[in-house]
Amino acid sequence: MRVGIEGVGTSHFGRQPGVDLVDLAFAAVDEAFRAAGGPRSVDAVWVGTVFGPAGVAQRVLRAMGLTGMPVLTVENACASGTTAFAEACEAVRSGRYGRVLALGIERMGDGAITPEPTDPEGRSGLALPALYAMAAARWLHEGRVTPEQLAAVSVKNHAHALHNPRAQYAGRYTVEEVQASRMIADPLTLLQCCPTSDGAAAAIVGPAAPGQVTVRSVALRSGAPWNHRSPHVWGHDVVRDTAVAAFAAAGVGPEDVDVAEVHDAFTIGEIVTTEALGLAGPGEGGKAAAAGRTALGGEQPVNPSGGLLSRGHPLGATGLAQLAEIVWQLRGEAGARQVDGARIGLVETMGGGVSVLDGNACVVAVLEAP
Amino acid sequence: MTRVTTPDPRPRVVAGAEGGGLVEGRRCTACAEVVAFAWPACPACGGPVEPARFGPEGTVWSATVVRVPVPGRTPPYGMAYVDLDDGPRVLAHTGGPVPIGARVRLVPGGDDGDVRVEVVG
Ligand SMILES: [Zn+2]
Repeated sequence: MRVGIEGVGTSHFGRQPGVDLVDLAFAAVDEAFRAAGGPRSVDAVWVGTVFGPAGVAQRVLRAMGLTGMPVLTVENACASGTTAFAEACEAVRSGRYGRVLALGIERMGDGAITPEPTDPEGRSGLALPALYAMAAARWLHEGRVTPEQLAAVSVKNHAHALHNPRAQYAGRYTVEEVQASRMIADPLTLLQCCPTSDGAAAAIVGPAAPGQVTVRSVALRSGAPWNHRSPHVWGHDVVRDTAVAAFAAAGVGPEDVDVAEVHDAFTIGEIVTTEALGLAGPGEGGKAAAAGRTALGGEQPVNPSGGLLSRGHPLGATGLAQLAEIVWQLRGEAGARQVDGARIGLVETMGGGVSVLDGNACVVAVLEAP
Repeated sequence: MTRVTTPDPRPRVVAGAEGGGLVEGRRCTACAEVVAFAWPACPACGGPVEPARFGPEGTVWSATVVRVPVPGRTPPYGMAYVDLDDGPRVLAHTGGPVPIGARVRLVPGGDDGDVRVEVVG
């Protein structure tokens, strides 16, 4: 059974200390129900969140009248929202449920993520930017990317977000301005790191019907050990392997992708990911960003929403925010950031934080226009 | 800083015979995978493991300097992934910046439990 996207919705993204998570979640779910039409009810709910307190899913759902049904909360680091989506799709595809809500919610609080003290590298003080900085430093050392190419990703995604009224940040920056911003973890500067955000995003899925964006495939896996034997930087291989599975199931290849939303929590992340997905060849990811190939108007736009770098990164909500953008793109509803004629869209999210593992989880979804 | 009361998950470094530090880890008796931790089974194959010590020297695979506040730590501080000779990759504190490819040596464990390396020569 092909799964269809009945409707998607999101809250605004950004630091919203005065807004209750109940209201952020409602903004997303209400928009998704309005887009879907029909009854404001579902057969089951999957909720993705990372830092949500116990009971957070039922707490936000009961405030909007969604009670008395199966509710499952999933945590897969930054891929929690896409994991909720993947499970919702599988529940429909297998016939377990008819109409399912996937919801991602997150309140990040006032500052950056505190390294997890029960993890060896977290206890050692490896802040997440430093993990990505290690990858960036390695690829710079290997000559696989240049500092200017890293910065070009930030320039591109901040410019994309100028056309996204829900984005946390946007701006016209130069490569020099990105490089001159405050150093966070060498070689990554402030404008190469995603902000901390509060937000929610939602999708309602069911058996595909005419006029809907449909799910050609969705793949989910966690990483293998990442260590001295790993041939690539952290996160590369789990994205590659998940993408291979997703493309095989979808019956399309990376060359068929018209628009993609990928995990750019840090600039190096987008470059590693575009190469791991096969959107760019080995060593070509940075060049693609610098040359405008992945910009709006380019051959294969990546992160037209502004990405995590600019739209914001409320962890559990991020995957469904990416999905919402791709659905709007495939429906021709993306406004000034529309990729003309987009037929095949891709969503990729990957989450980490467990040391000696090549990512806690990666999700890749391939979607098709109505 | 909130005192962490859970068991320390970091690699344990003990003093070696020649002055440097050695990581007390495990080697898989099935596939020979090496890990820097006293984990109960092999992360690569799930096979049985036996105690093994690694170090003291290794090569910097990548490195960074953390310049943002982290609870309980004072930035800036250098960190590196170090591939120990015939051993596992470990995350270590370096003090300041170190170049990729540099030869480093484990420093015997201090009171704070951090894995620490110094550049050789
Ligand atoms: Zn083994």
